[in-house]
Amino acid sequence: MSSGLNIFVLVKQVPDQGSKAGINPDGTIDRAKAKRMLNPFDRFALQAALHAKKNYGGKVSAISMGPPPAVEILLECLEHGVDDAYLLSDRRLAASDTLATAFALFKTVAHVGKPDLVFCGLQTTDGDTAQVGPQLAERMGLPQITYCEDFSIEGNKVHGRRIIEGGYQKVVSEMPLLITVANSYHPLEYKSFRGAWRVQRLARNEEELKKYIHTVDLDLVGADPERTGLKGSPTIVAATEKVGEIGGNCRMHEGQSIDHLVKDVVKETNLAQFMTV
Amino acid sequence: MTDNQETQPDVSQFCPKGDVLVIGEQILGDLQPVTLELLGAGRILADKMGQPLKCLIMGHNLGDIPQRLIEYGADEVFVADSPELHVYRTLPYRRVVCDFLDSLSAPPHTCLLGSTTTGRDLAPRIAAHFETGLTADCTELDIGPYEHKSKVDPTKIGLYPNCLYAIRPSFGESLKARILGPWKNPQMATTRPGVMVPNKQDPNRQGKITPIPVNLKQEDFRLIVADTVREISKGVKLTEADVIVAGGFGLGGPEGFDLLRELAAQFENSAVAASRKVVDLGWIPYQHQVGQTGKTVRPKLYIAAGISGAIQHRVGMSKSGIIIAINKDPDSPIFKFAHHGIVGDCNQVISEMIKQLKAVKSGKGVEAVVGSH
Ligand SMILES: Cc1cc2nc3c(=O)[nH]c(=O)nc-3n(C[C@H](O)[C@H](O)[C@H](O)COP(=O)(O)OP(=O)(O)OC[C@H]3O[C@@H](n4cnc5c(N)ncnc54)[C@H](O)[C@@H]3O)c2cc1C
Ligand SMILES: Nc1ncnc2c1ncn2[C@@H]1O[C@H](COP(=O)(O)O)[C@@H](O)[C@H]1O
Repeated sequence: MSSGLNIFVLVKQVPDQGSKAGINPDGTIDRAKAKRMLNPFDRFALQAALHAKKNYGGKVSAISMGPPPAVEILLECLEHGVDDAYLLSDRRLAASDTLATAFALFKTVAHVGKPDLVFCGLQTTDGDTAQVGPQLAERMGLPQITYCEDFSIEGNKVHGRRIIEGGYQKVVSEMPLLITVANSYHPLEYKSFRGAWRVQRLARNEEELKKYIHTVDLDLVGADPERTGLKGSPTIVAATEKVGEIGGNCRMHEGQSIDHLVKDVVKETNLAQFMTV
Repeated sequence: MTDNQETQPDVSQFCPKGDVLVIGEQILGDLQPVTLELLGAGRILADKMGQPLKCLIMGHNLGDIPQRLIEYGADEVFVADSPELHVYRTLPYRRVVCDFLDSLSAPPHTCLLGSTTTGRDLAPRIAAHFETGLTADCTELDIGPYEHKSKVDPTKIGLYPNCLYAIRPSFGESLKARILGPWKNPQMATTRPGVMVPNKQDPNRQGKITPIPVNLKQEDFRLIVADTVREISKGVKLTEADVIVAGGFGLGGPEGFDLLRELAAQFENSAVAASRKVVDLGWIPYQHQVGQTGKTVRPKLYIAAGISGAIQHRVGMSKSGIIIAINKDPDSPIFKFAHHGIVGDCNQVISEMIKQLKAVKSGKGVEAVVGSH
């Protein structure tokens, strides 16, 4: 593997639910107004991709599907050290469910090249399905390691550790392979000064930037629009309903000295009832 | 525009009534509770349509598992037995399920799996292969009608009488969404462990057990499982404790658990628990882990110290009677579902709590240790 690994990482821009901006009273999200961020789970995938490159050599390409502002997260990926990025952006993708998304990403991946390793986040905070990774692996005909907490590479084999109920599994897989990275993987390192500086310089020159971030559409990647968007989606959201937070309202105790905070809670919950006599 | 009332297409072919199929799950011969929960939920759906409930189980030397599946509600159990299926692996299991579904004269109406690390690994591959809809992590399931009005595809306009309603939380649990996939059978869903209610085991229940063929291909062995480690609990009676004192990364180190043990000792029938993060760090053994890949607990009192309240932790403890959370970050997700939140350093708060509880026990009362204002 002298030419190095061809590594892809799939990242998505999601609404920042920590910020109140763009959250409608009915609980739905106004995506135009909401603050945006890199899906937090994809930070682990990005770190895994960068580790693979650092330890075993090769090149990392970040791939995302989303509206034009998603370029922001691709810039962020470049700052962290990915080599180039691709954004699939097309109005006809609106309302794609996971199957339609996986299909569009499959076509995009094929357009970009032949990866040895594809990294996905475990799940997104908006779709929250953990389905896109395995569905992409199915389209690509690849084996997969989901819930991967750690991995190493020897020759053409990836040794991975994946979470299971009540323990873990150690698996060995051939490449090419798709990995979904658990949030117990190493957290994303801070971007390097050099990376940030490089991207700052790039961002000033549109022509130069285009060499690193490629925007593609369905026609370019050769994806049948009938298989994406609303038409290509076997599921529909028929109704949504606002629900109260689980467990009801939390009674917050703060701002006083600790002994008083604790006293209030001990009294209000009648902690004595649970005590040994 | 044509009048759709007059020329409404016949949509009944899209999702006709049919079997409900549960894809069961066992780990090294240990039948997973979520499978029994799915049989409970699946039984209700099947009865609503007047259709049979079937279950597919894969593994090797499964012993009395198929019979137990019948006793928990299945009418027919399909068994795929092969040494190659001894431990779960994506590609061989996927092959067996896809071949099985292909062999049926009509696809099941509904196909259910658990939202476990296995179910969430396998279900999307099957749904992608059959290009059918899949809803993840459902908390409610039902069968009901749906009227499709969207004009994007006129051939789909109409009333669908028997759709799977897959209901799940979305947008960080603040919304509940009803998701449908009425265009095609099987309509697929995974459900959260611990949510659906299993039926009582009925040793007299009769059903059919049918072996099915296993034909794996070379390409299914690109990934091998070198080791499966299950850390089955011994000694720690988390699931039976009335009071659980749990610690997370905010404890700052393994010593934090000494304090938690001292607090737990103040309570009757108590136990110490932990988040996965600190178990992974080796601060405390796995048997103490609560959550999706640990234990599901339901004590009368759950004290969470320095735990952020990630969804994988929450699913294991959110049904506790009283939840007291201690966290220095007032925006921590755990305060969204705890009942009492104390904002502060958990080690200081726990020490203070021990002090006050000891005072109560010695009859001095809390007032003795807390200065009045
Ligand atoms: C497939 C899968 C399965 C998983 N299964 C489980 C599971 O079964 N159980 C589980 O718990 N997790 C599970 N996880 C992990 C889960 O997602 C979280 O990563 C984990 O629960 C976080 O643990 P934590 O709350 O201890 O740590 P953190 O998320 O790091 O939170 C630490 C908290 O402590 C607070 N804090 C810091 N210092 C102090 C202080 N001095 N005083 C008070 N508070 C302080 C912080 O504000 C923070 O809220 C799973 C993850 C995956 C991907
Ligand atoms: N629109 C998208 N663009 C790129 N990657 C995506 C997209 N949607 C999902 N993914 C990848 O699939 C993972 C799982 O997403 P989900 O199935 O939505 O929970 C994410 O963490 C990403 O790695």
